[in-house]
Amino acid sequence: MISRLTARRAVRSGVIFGYIFGAATASSAISYTRFYKTAAQRDALAAAYGSNRATSALFGPAPQLQTVAGFTVFKISMTLILLGAVWGLLTSTRLLRGEEDSGRWELLLAGPVTRRGAVVQALGGLGAGVGALWALTGLITAVTGLDASVGIAAGPALYFAVAMTAAPVMFLAVGALTSQLAGTRRQAAAYAAWVLGVSYAVRLVADAGLGLHGLIWASPLGWVEELRPLTAPAPLALVPIAAFTGVLLAATVYLAGARDVGAGIVPDRASRRPHMRLLGGPTALAVRMVRPAVTGWWVAIAVSGLLFGLIARSAGGTISGSSVQVLTRLGSRGNGTDAVLGVCFLTLAVLVAFAAAGQITTARSEESAGRLEALLTRPVSRCRWLGGRLLVTIVVLLASGVMAGIFAWAGAASQHAGVSFGTLAEAGVNLVPPAITIAGAGVLAFGVWPRGTSIVLYALLGWSLLVVVIGGVGGVSRWVLDTSVFHQMASAPAVPPHWEADGVMTAIGVVGALAGGLAFRRRDVQGE
Amino acid sequence: MAAAAIRTEGLTKRYGDVAALDQLDLEVAPGEVVGYLGPNGAGKTTTIRLLLGLISPTGGRGEIFGLDCQRQPVEAHRRLAFVAGEANLWPSLTGAETLRLLGRAWGSGVDEAYRDELVARFELDPAKKVRAYSKGNRQKVILIAALMTRADLLVLDEPTSGLDPLMEQAFRGSIREARDRGQTVFLSSHILSEVEALCDRVGILRQGKLVELGTLAEMRHLAALTVEATFAGAIPDLSGVPGVSSVQADGRVVRCQVRGPIAPLLKVLAAADVTELLSREPSLEELFLAQYGGGA
Repeated sequence: MISRLTARRAVRSGVIFGYIFGAATASSAISYTRFYKTAAQRDALAAAYGSNRATSALFGPAPQLQTVAGFTVFKISMTLILLGAVWGLLTSTRLLRGEEDSGRWELLLAGPVTRRGAVVQALGGLGAGVGALWALTGLITAVTGLDASVGIAAGPALYFAVAMTAAPVMFLAVGALTSQLAGTRRQAAAYAAWVLGVSYAVRLVADAGLGLHGLIWASPLGWVEELRPLTAPAPLALVPIAAFTGVLLAATVYLAGARDVGAGIVPDRASRRPHMRLLGGPTALAVRMVRPAVTGWWVAIAVSGLLFGLIARSAGGTISGSSVQVLTRLGSRGNGTDAVLGVCFLTLAVLVAFAAAGQITTARSEESAGRLEALLTRPVSRCRWLGGRLLVTIVVLLASGVMAGIFAWAGAASQHAGVSFGTLAEAGVNLVPPAITIAGAGVLAFGVWPRGTSIVLYALLGWSLLVVVIGGVGGVSRWVLDTSVFHQMASAPAVPPHWEADGVMTAIGVVGALAGGLAFRRRDVQGE
Repeated sequence: MAAAAIRTEGLTKRYGDVAALDQLDLEVAPGEVVGYLGPNGAGKTTTIRLLLGLISPTGGRGEIFGLDCQRQPVEAHRRLAFVAGEANLWPSLTGAETLRLLGRAWGSGVDEAYRDELVARFELDPAKKVRAYSKGNRQKVILIAALMTRADLLVLDEPTSGLDPLMEQAFRGSIREARDRGQTVFLSSHILSEVEALCDRVGILRQGKLVELGTLAEMRHLAALTVEATFAGAIPDLSGVPGVSSVQADGRVVRCQVRGPIAPLLKVLAAADVTELLSREPSLEELFLAQYGGGA
């Protein structure tokens, strides 16, 4: 029963992600064959990226860039690994701790099933989701490989799918374990996200060309990288992956039987002294409630900004000749350090946009969980509540942008990269308009189709990201490119910000938010 | 003349073809305690959500103290306090923090001494996080949050779900205090004894329509009076007496039920040798069940 219920939901999202993984792989492979036809072009690409510390740190090493397979692995594998890891930890915490939080597990556990038995069944269901992810990724890669110019055989394609599924499997297990440790779904996801963050940071240092490559074996993401699919397969790296997953799953099953249903192993203090700050009204409450998540985003943005600043100069130094053309396709038109920072700021723009989406989905969850009614049945108007939340969102986004600029400048200045504070502060502010557009679209969805708020937000974000990543290699029509908010953003500091385009994006966001606010005023308050 | 605490005219809410509330005309005077009854899905919560402006009517209108529920919700909410049947609160806040938040959101008129008195009366531990509270304790938090405002109108939707019998008594005491202070109470409840004990008038809702509204005395006609007579001699035949039904004889004792005028039965009983006569009015439960065809 539990395994069937879990499998149904896990397979559904596994299929969606399998399709995304397959489509990203296929588009990357095919666009390479179209845009890098001659050996000279491919050599130039390899010269630009083959020993580039910055891209190596961010995306992993780039061997065999002269081949379709090598380029594909370099271009997309780290993105897919991270995306898959996030999918894994969110899926398992949602289907394990989330289901327990909702009280549905108690109904099932009242039947003839033990707590350990229930978790084993749920893990089986999650396994079905992983199977779907692996099968679709492998199938689409293998079919793409049939194309003579791509030329990836079925065996390597399936091994590639194994490598792309390894991070999801490990982080499903991490999420399963943190679901036993933490008392709430949010806490479980936060613990798992910290594990992912540390894994990525360790791998990044290992690949940054600082002579610390041995550290790669200290990071689960490093093990995935060491599988080296499509280039120099090393299946031995599956051993630590399998061992890590096995240990975590065994601990999960053990702990599931050693704790009470609804409680975590890490004790949650039931009582504490009251903290009466930020309880003065709905806006103050919004600030209080979003603090933990916003702190997480700000840490991620600050650390990334600092890191990009630190590596920009050395990375920029390796760029020459035709590699400028590659960066141009990715949106950068400058040279050297500025050009590298231009591409790095795209990553920061994605982080800021995700922070914006998080703010709007949190607002919706106040409504769907019924908590909003506790405020709206008091003398608090819908406008005041939503306006307050949007004000908090704007402040969070502006601060995120400015912080990205400041930390990138701090990193770059420490390396004497010669990039001015003003330029990077401006580039930081330039990150905000796409996030405002995303937030505005989210508020519009919240107003007219509240239950679809997160679907609209994450579909828009995913689409914008996909278009700009694929568009970076070329071969995407102008019309399609224009639908991506990240494409509309000038890749400052490589080029000066397009304030006009930023103004249009901000205006679209504001109009969306106003229309959404008006619709919200008129519609019924709706639960889940 | 003071505006009615609650007034609705043809208030209707439809979801597709289904009328969750159909043409509700209701008036609650200031200072009244009105019970609102009906089985699940009859439209009680829909009525309350319309009055609170959380949902929009398909037709008709509602007013709170003369203020339009849809156009002036904030002004209307300054005059009322609401208790939902399910306490959806912020799990990470403690009880004390939640009361502070809800008090501040209501306005500046919260009497903190009275709040502390209510916390003691309902035996709430305010240092605990909402996440750690039982359902009953979460319900206490929103009850205290509403009562501490001393709002002119208390709108209560199944307010005692999850409360133990002792706390139920504390609740009844608080509502009587509110009534004595002149507050208006609109109480939707499944607990008929609660409504019977507290309310001046009762409305009964059936499939979205208000089918009865009146005092308990006015509503006695809905169900039969139970009469028990003990005879010294022969038992008369009561089966043909107008309005009498369910006649049961047990030795010299006869029980029966009477609808409508009791005079024909009394005439027959007077002619017989009655030694003891007991009559009992229908309880609210019997009235309610009579309305829904469940007996009595």
